[in-house]
Amino acid sequence: MLTFHQVGRRYGLGGPWVLRGVGLALPAGTLARVAGANGTGKSTLLRLAAGIDAPSAGRIEGRPRTAYVPERFPPALPFTAHGYLTHLGRVHGLSRRTARVRAERWLDRFGARAHGETPLAELSKGTVQKVAVAQALLAEPELLVLDEAWTGLDAEARDALDEVVTERVAGGASVLFVDHDPRRLAGAVSAAYEVSGTSLIAAERGTARVRIDAEAPPGTKLPDGLPPEATHERDPSGTVRFTVPAAHSDALLRALLTAAGPWHIHRVRPPAARER
Amino acid sequence: MTALLGYHAALLLRSQRWLPPAVLYGALLAVGVSMGDPLLDSLGYAAAALLPVAAWLVRICATQEPPAARHVTATAAGGPSRAQLAVLLTALAAAGLLGAIGTVLTVALGDAHSTDHTVEIPLPGALVSGLLAAAVCTLTGAALGALCTWPVLRGRALSLAALCLGALLLLVTAGSPARTAVSALINGSHTGEPPLSVLPLTGAVVAAAGAAALSCRLSGRRT
Repeated sequence: MLTFHQVGRRYGLGGPWVLRGVGLALPAGTLARVAGANGTGKSTLLRLAAGIDAPSAGRIEGRPRTAYVPERFPPALPFTAHGYLTHLGRVHGLSRRTARVRAERWLDRFGARAHGETPLAELSKGTVQKVAVAQALLAEPELLVLDEAWTGLDAEARDALDEVVTERVAGGASVLFVDHDPRRLAGAVSAAYEVSGTSLIAAERGTARVRIDAEAPPGTKLPDGLPPEATHERDPSGTVRFTVPAAHSDALLRALLTAAGPWHIHRVRPPAARER
Repeated sequence: MTALLGYHAALLLRSQRWLPPAVLYGALLAVGVSMGDPLLDSLGYAAAALLPVAAWLVRICATQEPPAARHVTATAAGGPSRAQLAVLLTALAAAGLLGAIGTVLTVALGDAHSTDHTVEIPLPGALVSGLLAAAVCTLTGAALGALCTWPVLRGRALSLAALCLGALLLLVTAGSPARTAVSALINGSHTGEPPLSVLPLTGAVVAAAGAAALSCRLSGRRT
């Protein structure tokens, strides 16, 4: 079981702590979600869990076979989708044949079968992200770490990933994920955490969240004083969707209304009126 | 580890990033080694040319994966140190291969006599001597490369400047294994006796192992 003991992480000697005193245990079959505002160290936490980063303080024990999916997988690798997956499958410890068979199976499941022999550089962003997801799943890992892995996937692939995650958890694997959509796997999450400041705190599950759509010309900076619990995503059109626990929605509105930039609030949707 | 080495070697080959250092080595050999030159002199020159090439190859291998891909590989490999070790070994193998080809070509082209053409040099002895010196320069260059690139040194400008300056210093500073091995070959060319640079090889192995240990250790501490 992956266990964090008083883990801290900072970059550079004497740099500010990104995370400090973090305790976390992920027993088999846990589906754990990490929330928190942008830039609070969610990705750092996930990299620590995946073993990519070593803790600057404390220790991490009992890492099972792990696979990781980054938020944006770069297409700048000189392989075809199959070629890359076969190499990575071998690095995960599979035989060449097993790696190839599973690569095909997972590309198929995410609707990218036709792109197996296409060089990564020629694939669309979404398809490259499917390759990154397939890379993690073909290893059948005991711990799956997903850093906004859904970003860039089309709706069907997002649903397929939801399904696969649920299956893996039912099969005894643990999954640790970050996603900007607070409803992601909401019904299945068995442990929810929030990065707040430099600590990791257990978040209340199923906290009602309010969605606020606001608009500002592209490039406008986010207003100061946003509650740290708020998450947001930008549409290409310039609309920014904020999601915030109901208790902090007034603070978010206040920050938007008193912002220096030209923010315009389109719509406020209370938890009950939310459509999927 | 085999799978990791295969992955990094495929990355290096398919990206064609191996070409510029290989061309540099070829050009240095073409300029400095010609048919009928005293053999041990040429072998010393060929070994010296390998040092910057090995350092450059390490830098290429250590930076050819974008960070997100490196994170994926590190997780799959069971930790960034293993992935980084594979990076260094791939570069070392590539430089070693270039060095072996260059050494054999030099032996084939050179005149197997001492500088003053009086003493005949046995070819097998010259080949062993040249390969040893090439190994010393490859390992020293790889150590330099590991210390001048991610994760030890970040930032492109700083890394390249340190790489060039370091290569120069390692070739001219007394006490450096590379300089010792190259000098031994040049002195050997005067006496007509191919030297066996075992002590410099030991030094180069220790330096390369130390640099690799630091590089692997830091790979999980820097992003």
